[in-house]
Amino acid sequence: MIKPDITLSVLKDIRELSVVILHPQDQDCEEISAQLRRLGCNYQVIWPTLEILPSGTDLVLLAVRPETLSMKYPWLGQPSTPPLIPVVTFENPLTVTAVLQLDAFATIASPVRSAGLLTAIAVTLSQHRAKRMLERYLVRLEQKHSHVQLIERATQIVMASRGVDQPSAYKMMRSQAMAKRESIESIAREIVKANEVLTF
Amino acid sequence: MPISTTKPIKIGTLYSTTGVTALVERTQLQAIQFAIEEINAAGGVLGREFSLVSLDSASTPANYPGLAERLILEHGVRLIMGCYMSSTRKAVLPIAERHNTLLFYATPYEGFEYSRNVFYAGAAPNQNILPLASYMLSHYGTRVAMVGSDYVCPYESNRIMSELIGEHGGKKVQETYLPLEANLADFNTVAKQLKALNPDFIFSTVVGAGNAHLHRALSDVGLHSTNTPVASHMCNETDIASIGVHLAEGLITCASYFQSLGNAENQKVVAGYQARFGRHENTNVCWEAAYFQTHLIAKAIAISGSEDPTLLAQSLPGTYFDAPQGRVKIDEQNNHTYLLPRIGRCNSVGQFDVVASSSELVRADPFVVAHTAPLWTRAKHARIEGQEKRVGQ
Repeated sequence: MIKPDITLSVLKDIRELSVVILHPQDQDCEEISAQLRRLGCNYQVIWPTLEILPSGTDLVLLAVRPETLSMKYPWLGQPSTPPLIPVVTFENPLTVTAVLQLDAFATIASPVRSAGLLTAIAVTLSQHRAKRMLERYLVRLEQKHSHVQLIERATQIVMASRGVDQPSAYKMMRSQAMAKRESIESIAREIVKANEVLTF
Repeated sequence: MPISTTKPIKIGTLYSTTGVTALVERTQLQAIQFAIEEINAAGGVLGREFSLVSLDSASTPANYPGLAERLILEHGVRLIMGCYMSSTRKAVLPIAERHNTLLFYATPYEGFEYSRNVFYAGAAPNQNILPLASYMLSHYGTRVAMVGSDYVCPYESNRIMSELIGEHGGKKVQETYLPLEANLADFNTVAKQLKALNPDFIFSTVVGAGNAHLHRALSDVGLHSTNTPVASHMCNETDIASIGVHLAEGLITCASYFQSLGNAENQKVVAGYQARFGRHENTNVCWEAAYFQTHLIAKAIAISGSEDPTLLAQSLPGTYFDAPQGRVKIDEQNNHTYLLPRIGRCNSVGQFDVVASSSELVRADPFVVAHTAPLWTRAKHARIEGQEKRVGQ
């Protein structure tokens, strides 16, 4: 085990959380609410329908039980959907399938006990943040990859038209970019476009 | 004799004597009363009598947690028998665990549960739905319509039926769920759809009062058991009496117990029960489970020398009893019960004729996802040696 020397921000942030509990008002709901009060989270209980999620919702605790399988929540599965923790009653193949479709990182089992909720929230928030960062990193990586391909093609064009080697071609493009105060990608894009126009 | 050893052993019950599922639950309560009278007449257990504290849960899941706590806190009960629909059992389970109380559940259910505080005497799906589905698909055809009550057990039952239909290369032509309170008009609508779809058989997971509506509606549109039989593992002799024998004749079910079983033990118990509660009283699979579970409790108390729930939870697994269905035994690992499944067809007097039977006790497998159909339910293998392992004792 790694001994932590800092407390992760997800744990420090717990008192700032706005939590929506989408759950029938029963013993499990009482247990969840009471534990969230102890943890110091802001929460509201909503049941059964929720067309629009309250703005600023950081986390949703969602009842997953046989009677919820047919419920449709339009805010689920959107890029802006906050992280979810399913509260699972009737742990059978149908409900487990429903949980898998929710892309959750942790679950709470019924009957709910106070122990386990803090860990579930921390794992969920931390994994959700990590997933978001990974998604953003992927987008940047894809952009970068397409830029590299573009510069590569422009370099080939300059090499052929000017009869220079690859480092010299790249240098020529970079000084053009500096002179025009543009990025090397946009210079490369212009070269590729101009070449397409000239070679019809 | 010191007073402490003559104190009665208290059994609390949570059965509905009113509401949508009261008919069958009332037979379970009477089965327990009857078993307790038998036990007391034979001198009780450890020289002590059994006494009963019964609360009416009125077929309402929300009543159960409060009533369970009342049994424990006001009446000092640590052994509770009862619950019928799974939602009611799920409501009592956390209370039982919190107060170290044992819950004895005597109704077939959809599986996927274990608690060290709950003992299950009713069938798990591999002991009733699986054999019934397999029997129907291999004897009647594979175009199946499903109609059920809107709660957890029908959904899981239909999942299993759907998988077996898939394995048989068949087709699910309808899967519909009605509220527990659905009326005759709701069932008429469904019956008209079923008539148009003309399935090979109808798989019903309707419970309680809806059964009478379903069969009335099917009859009104001209769907009869002779051409389109109804199969339901959730329909027993008591339900048949409420449906009306003329409407239910031909219904096919799977259960480990039928009132009609010809063995001497069943004949004796049914005769005694009817002498006590009235000669028109029907028995059924839930009745029998409640009856033998009471005797299993008595046996386990005798073994452990105490009704302490912790000690009982240790002595109950492996305990067996010669029940009206034959010898049953509590599983050593999952608190469920080894049972002997049979396929029955409802005859003209509202009793079931056994048309196929497992030759051996079948172990409850409450957590199985992918089921394998037992050989004895297949058309060409009916009535031959089953594939289940024989248990001891």
